[in-house]
Amino acid sequence: MKNKLGLSDIYSVAVYGIRARKGRSIMTSIGIGIGIAAIVAVIGISASGKADLIATLESLGTNLIKASPTSGFFGTQDDLPKGVLGMVERIGPVEEVTSTTQTDLLVRRSKFISELEGGGISVIVTNPELLDVVGGSLVEGRFIEPGLSRLPVATLGSITAKRLGINNLDVPTKILINNQWFGVIGIVEKLSIHPDLDRSVFIGYSVAKELFDIESEPSTIYLRANPTYIEDVVDVLAPTMNPENPDQVEVSRPSDALEAQEAAEEAFTTLLLGLGSVALLVGGVAIANVMVMSVLERRMEIGVRRSIGATRSEIRTQFLLESILLAGFGGLVGVLLGSGITIGYTRYADITFSIPVGQVLGAIILALVIGALAGLYPAIRASKVQPAEAVRS
Amino acid sequence: MNKSNTVISLQKVSKTYEGPPPVKAINGVSIEIQDKEFVAIVGESGSGKTTLLNIIGLLDGVTRGKVYIDGEDTTKLSDDELSKLRGEKIGFIFQSFFLLPGLTAQENVAEGLLYQGFDRKSRLEKAAKVLKQVGLSDRMNHLPKELSGGQQQRVAIARALVQNPSYILADEPTGNLDKESGSNILKILRELNKEGKTVVMITHNSEHAKAFDRTITLTDGRVAS
Repeated sequence: MKNKLGLSDIYSVAVYGIRARKGRSIMTSIGIGIGIAAIVAVIGISASGKADLIATLESLGTNLIKASPTSGFFGTQDDLPKGVLGMVERIGPVEEVTSTTQTDLLVRRSKFISELEGGGISVIVTNPELLDVVGGSLVEGRFIEPGLSRLPVATLGSITAKRLGINNLDVPTKILINNQWFGVIGIVEKLSIHPDLDRSVFIGYSVAKELFDIESEPSTIYLRANPTYIEDVVDVLAPTMNPENPDQVEVSRPSDALEAQEAAEEAFTTLLLGLGSVALLVGGVAIANVMVMSVLERRMEIGVRRSIGATRSEIRTQFLLESILLAGFGGLVGVLLGSGITIGYTRYADITFSIPVGQVLGAIILALVIGALAGLYPAIRASKVQPAEAVRS
Repeated sequence: MNKSNTVISLQKVSKTYEGPPPVKAINGVSIEIQDKEFVAIVGESGSGKTTLLNIIGLLDGVTRGKVYIDGEDTTKLSDDELSKLRGEKIGFIFQSFFLLPGLTAQENVAEGLLYQGFDRKSRLEKAAKVLKQVGLSDRMNHLPKELSGGQQQRVAIARALVQNPSYILADEPTGNLDKESGSNILKILRELNKEGKTVVMITHNSEHAKAFDRTITLTDGRVAS
């Protein structure tokens, strides 16, 4: 015999059971809510991070290559061989190339600051093309453009600007480089994949030679190559730059570092998802527990329903649906909470909000499935309550 | 009385509750209840009155014997078929009313039709009519806790009546009520009987018992008279 109860009737009967015990129902749902919130937040934050990473990768391009001498035995950097720039330019797929020269010049805001307090800021002598090659942009002002190379002017990396307390260039600002005043003409936007550049002050080659006697020997080379041949370029770069000792050249792709970082984060995400699943499991057990209690307490209701014509399967459906609704409610609250956490985090970390709808739906379905599983045993118990015993007063 | 008017018939019915220790609640009881009869079941506590009523009302099965309702051998029916019969033909009234605490009087009564395939609107309409019949039309939207014991029992009677059953089975419906409310309930049941319902009621009250057509007395699970 099939159920005579319509869907809306079953729903209202199940809702009655939940409404009649509001406080307990809410607390029962909390377990599932926390589990789902954790899972949604983890998925959301990792997806947002990934979206941000992809955006960063796209803006930077994956065809950027950095080459520098390996650190020597005592941590000192060897110079690259003379004329290296020309050699690199001759590699076919290389599209753009530029070099910088690392210095040990000291940067200070004024003479009142001790020479011992350099603040970890390094001065990099650069060509005008650097900003284009590394895919950077300016917060304001100008980079060391061709005509500015011989002038005592400097452009700051983003972290440098923050450390020196220079937030804007509304008033003319000067900094001290080895007791020489340099006018600040620009601030570079955070590059993130080149943290060393973010902590630098950029000056031109001509002024470096004139004031500090620094030769234009490159210590680092940045280049962009045709993406199709990027692996080939990586392979031949070191032997090209230093045919005698190719192992003294370190070649890296900043995008590789980002991808490795992403892989590490993914492992962490998996761990958090595991923790979220444990919370869900505990939530499911809590629901099963409360439903079993509920069946014991509501023998009278079950007896009355059986006496007015409810079949076993109708009683079973009622309790099963109650459990599913409890879990579903918890799941819904969890999704809202998890999305809220994700939004909060993305605002805080200043990354693009992205939440995969499919996975969120999956989380809700997971909650419903857990509710169904948790409710199965209590529902079967409820359906097996003997009506005659249930109505004994 | 004419044999063809027998609507409920128990033949050598025994009911043993599996122990340990096993309890023989009903022991070889044969009774026949006629159409439109007004019957009281009396007896000491533990004599098997409630078990007998539950067997008549198909809430409980038998260990031995046959139970016929309208000529149908119910011991051969499946659990679902028994549910259907209970829903269609039998209205129960319990000593402790057994109203669902979260529902109003009207909703409680409408619940009696829930498993009969009526939609919500018609359930509530029918419930309102029956509540009027038991004199509670001004209490339809009250929760059980806002009603007196007598009023709650009248709601319970309305719930039993709303499905228009042929048989009303009442297990000490006046047991939890004061004298006046109790008499009132008895009066309602008597009127229902006059309107054509067969009523079987357990009572402890010897005064109430006098009002019935017939009294079945149980002693230790057997019919004494």
